[in-house]
Amino acid sequence: MRYQFLRWITFAGLLSLGGSVNVSAVCNQTSVSQADKDLWALHGCWTDFFLWQYQEYNLSSNDWGNRGWNDACNNNLEFPKTWNASFLVTYGLLDNNNQSFHGTTDYRQLAESPDSNFKDAVYYDATDSTGIFGSFTYHWPGDDEISLSCNLFNSSVANANPASRAGDFMHEGWHGWLTEGNWDNGSAGGHRPGPTGACTINGCDYFYFHGIGAYAFGALYQTDGTANRFHSPNQVQVEFLCDVSDQPQPWVPASVRQAAAADANQRAVQRFINGPGYTCGSPRPW
Amino acid sequence: MYLRLILKNLQHARCFVPCAVLLSSLVGILTEPIAAQGTQKPPPPLTAPAQGSTEALPLASPNVPVRETVPRFIDWAARSRPDQREEVRKMIAASSANSGAAEELCREISETQNEDHSRTLIMLSVLGEMRNSEGEKCLIRFIHLPLPTKGTVVNGEIIEQTSLATLQGKAVDGLAYARSVTADRELLWAVSSHASKIVRAEAINAYLWNHQDSEAARAALLKVVRPNERDLIDRPRHEPGTTREQFNGKLIVYAKMHPAPEPQKRNARKLSPQEGVGDGPPPEAAKRSPTTPPKEKQ
Repeated sequence: MRYQFLRWITFAGLLSLGGSVNVSAVCNQTSVSQADKDLWALHGCWTDFFLWQYQEYNLSSNDWGNRGWNDACNNNLEFPKTWNASFLVTYGLLDNNNQSFHGTTDYRQLAESPDSNFKDAVYYDATDSTGIFGSFTYHWPGDDEISLSCNLFNSSVANANPASRAGDFMHEGWHGWLTEGNWDNGSAGGHRPGPTGACTINGCDYFYFHGIGAYAFGALYQTDGTANRFHSPNQVQVEFLCDVSDQPQPWVPASVRQAAAADANQRAVQRFINGPGYTCGSPRPW
Repeated sequence: MYLRLILKNLQHARCFVPCAVLLSSLVGILTEPIAAQGTQKPPPPLTAPAQGSTEALPLASPNVPVRETVPRFIDWAARSRPDQREEVRKMIAASSANSGAAEELCREISETQNEDHSRTLIMLSVLGEMRNSEGEKCLIRFIHLPLPTKGTVVNGEIIEQTSLATLQGKAVDGLAYARSVTADRELLWAVSSHASKIVRAEAINAYLWNHQDSEAARAALLKVVRPNERDLIDRPRHEPGTTREQFNGKLIVYAKMHPAPEPQKRNARKLSPQEGVGDGPPPEAAKRSPTTPPKEKQ
């Protein structure tokens, strides 16, 4: 990873200053959403996967200790819910050249920790704040930080499902892409202040519409510096959610696909200044 | 990769100390094993293909109370695979005349809507697919539930409001699919008068889809849609099976009507705390120590 040496110095410095593990309150740990349960039922609890996931997403016992780190098969808890979403990103997409917006290679590189064409290295932690879904924080020196809030874990919240949680990985990861490329996406937490145009909230993006096949799989990071070839965080999130809804692997459960479509559609209507974005999923009830 | 790192770091090198730290970091990076430097590691292979829902259970059964059949059916339908879509539809159709099942679904929707959003979506989908008259009444009542005006605020959005509106969007899908006089009347009311844009937008989408995107349907919508929301009628629809040509053709036209301005670069300089954060206030400075691997159980 980038700056491993510096991080080592930082850790040593913190230790010498008596830096302690910050254990705070936690999210609702007594329930799990239907979509999380249904996806979970497909892998049971896959030890090899979560032992890979915690390294590839750069999660630490320091941040997740009281959130299921030592109870990784208990899907009521935050760490298991996080790696459940990573399971969806890693294996859940069809990568259909004729119908998918982007491919697994794009979404994996965007979500996972290592430095890539998409962004600098990141690490993930969790926060009890409910004023956000997630956040991206640039650090220099050191890896950038993606924080996931209880709104992605508490089953009563619409976004507490594997598709929306993974969608947030994409959204926050794209803030990393914007930062890496020195792009100014606005002053409201990396978005435009709102409501404005067709956007109804405070935190608006533009939708830089592109068709299917405009980006080869693996080329999502590319831009020509114009509106013809560019993405915003909410756009990447909508495209990912549409791919989960409409181009999933044959085993992705209905509850995950429907949650993805519902999230994509509310986001497309609420968050784009030049919107609304297109719709995903079928309007037929089933 | 090293060149990119050097260039990025030089943007921030404004004094001696950062430069010295930069040099140290480069020495550290260059002496690290290559495998540890930002390389994606392959995930474990998905050796045992995951199996979706297999055992079909009826939504209603003559000798079993609906309080038992309905939740079991929802469990099964929620886990169903994309290739089981028609099977689920047939199972729902087989019980479509069973008003007891529709009423039980309605009761469970009311019970679950504030506890599990994804399960409630599934139940509303099943209820809408039933095309049952009692189910239709339930869906009408549901879309008229008042949106919460207080709750958890994220980016100026009350997320409980968005949550209910999203569920109401699924309910209008069911009303549009019913294609009855009463349901269509409620649908057109939702297009013009529902408090949430999420619901108004989905009502338009569902009305068009259920009328084969006909000119007559567009004309009917144009009579009731809010003047500043006429764009909702023209939205491209991406759904399972939509081909690249079908989608791209519509999108090109739509994108021309909805242009985005050119993206802007910021000056190359050290980011302020506000600029260095996306979606929220900067958390406290990270304090991380070396990790231990996670365990199944302590």
